[in-house]
Amino acid sequence: MSANGNGWSRLYAGYGLSGPVALVMLVLFLLVPLLPGEYWTVVGTEILILGLFAMSFNLLYGYMGQISFGHAAFFGLGAYATAMLFMRLKTAGGEIGMLDFFLSLTAGPPVAALGALIVGFFCVRLTGIYFAMLSLAFGELLFYIVFSWYSFTKGDDGIQGLLPPLYFQDAVHYYYLTLAIVVVALLAMWRIAESPFGYIMRTLRDNQRRAAFLGINVRLHMLMNFVIAGAFAGLAGALWGPFSRSVSPGLLGWQESGIAVFMTLIGGAGAFVGPIVGSVIYTMLQAVVKMYTVYWPLTIGTIILLIVLFVPGGVLGLIEKRIKARQGRLADAGDGVESAREGR
Amino acid sequence: MAAILEVTGLHKHFGGIHVTRDVHFSMQEGEQSAIIGPNGAGKSTFMNLLTGYHRCDAGKVLFEGQDITNRPPHNIARLGISRAFQISSIFAKMTVAENVRSAVHAQMRRSFSIFGVAARVGVEETDRVLDLCGLEGKRALVAGELAQGDKKRLELAIALAGKPRLLFLDEPTAGMSIEEARSTMELVDRLNRELGLTVLFTEHDMGIVFNHARKLTLMHRGEIVVQGTPEEVRANEVAQKVYLGEHHA
Repeated sequence: MSANGNGWSRLYAGYGLSGPVALVMLVLFLLVPLLPGEYWTVVGTEILILGLFAMSFNLLYGYMGQISFGHAAFFGLGAYATAMLFMRLKTAGGEIGMLDFFLSLTAGPPVAALGALIVGFFCVRLTGIYFAMLSLAFGELLFYIVFSWYSFTKGDDGIQGLLPPLYFQDAVHYYYLTLAIVVVALLAMWRIAESPFGYIMRTLRDNQRRAAFLGINVRLHMLMNFVIAGAFAGLAGALWGPFSRSVSPGLLGWQESGIAVFMTLIGGAGAFVGPIVGSVIYTMLQAVVKMYTVYWPLTIGTIILLIVLFVPGGVLGLIEKRIKARQGRLADAGDGVESAREGR
Repeated sequence: MAAILEVTGLHKHFGGIHVTRDVHFSMQEGEQSAIIGPNGAGKSTFMNLLTGYHRCDAGKVLFEGQDITNRPPHNIARLGISRAFQISSIFAKMTVAENVRSAVHAQMRRSFSIFGVAARVGVEETDRVLDLCGLEGKRALVAGELAQGDKKRLELAIALAGKPRLLFLDEPTAGMSIEEARSTMELVDRLNRELGLTVLFTEHDMGIVFNHARKLTLMHRGEIVVQGTPEEVRANEVAQKVYLGEHHA
């Protein structure tokens, strides 16, 4: 028991709250397909994909300190890039080869990154509410382009029939594929968050002016982060099409962007794994609430209201606070030096 | 000896107010001098103009012979000019060590590195700066929760992490206790003496000014009134009238 306790606290000391939470979540995610029926496996896939999307959003919000209301544009661009390549690679019989399937998945991130490069070029000139509004405007612009360019994107009909190869048509197989890709993506994001660049992002969040006087080209660094966040959103989008068998312009819209914001606020922007914890809560809640009522927007609206008012750091922020308070009491009793962990 | 900083005919006005008027100023390498003057004299604006925070309306700034007039702040910082702010300007949510470490990374040109591990890059330099500024024992504390004096010390540490050749300090001891102020200025003296760092600081405490600056510049309403050694400035009649008088009355 005590050795176990030591293990947890070592994990906490090394990686912050995200360490133990990530470990527990990974084990639970691995076990999800054991639940009876396909339903929770499908919900689990959705949690992972939207969680990755929300995590990419938090690179901008939690680490760089800018809120984007148009981040779904890159999720949608990734989804459409994959879907359109997917349709081209499909055989006349309507099937796609395994290799072609993976090839179509790789189309998402670069196309989304390119979109982010163009949008970001303008957005990083601004901060705060102006950054948020411009990102929203660009998001809606891209939404309308996809929505109305019928000959190229099939407009509001969307693209249907994104049936993955037979092996991955099985919900459990697609789930594990998604889990593997999301885990690798999150490990990459963790590396970036803990890199010199990741900490430069935190300096930009805290004090852009000071960073500039250290020789940091603020806009160029923001743009790079914007592109990285866009690429990860694009990866999430790439996974979405074959999962839901279709893509539609709504994937680029502000409501989709809002999902990333909601998840991040629920889970906590201050912790690395906050957004994916938020995705677990948001998506499962939605799955349950929709069984009983059609008033999902009302429900989630109320929850967000309560979170913003009473739990501004999200669920993980709340837990972190509790741990700090307990450590503080222990430190008062003993001689412990409290170490602080921020932005993990 | 070559001039490290050469300012000619510097002008700046906000609306109709001239905050900097025809300022000519130069510093020799290894010099340690102070700008003094009443509140609103234009001392901070002058530093803002030199470091690219404000745009100059007219005039020229040369650093080591290079024209840096109206270049963006990050560009000027990279050439080797660093500054510490009057109101401590730190990264409030990061720890003390992370504050300094990121400044070190910027100086090492590693700010774009996404494959490195931040905790393993520039460790020695970070430790050296923390040690130098007496912040070693506070490295794990969140910067925003430090006492005022420690914040100012961290401010100085961040500025030093950039390995500058020219350092601007805007009231480096404001908000510090007498003891803290003394040790901070001793550190500045040491940097100047041992590392040959050229230092320009503003200060209201005349005790500190006369003990630590070898050259003084008195500004008043955006203009330079007197320049010279502390003794010369002290003896100057105009200086007595616009500034020193109120302190030594």
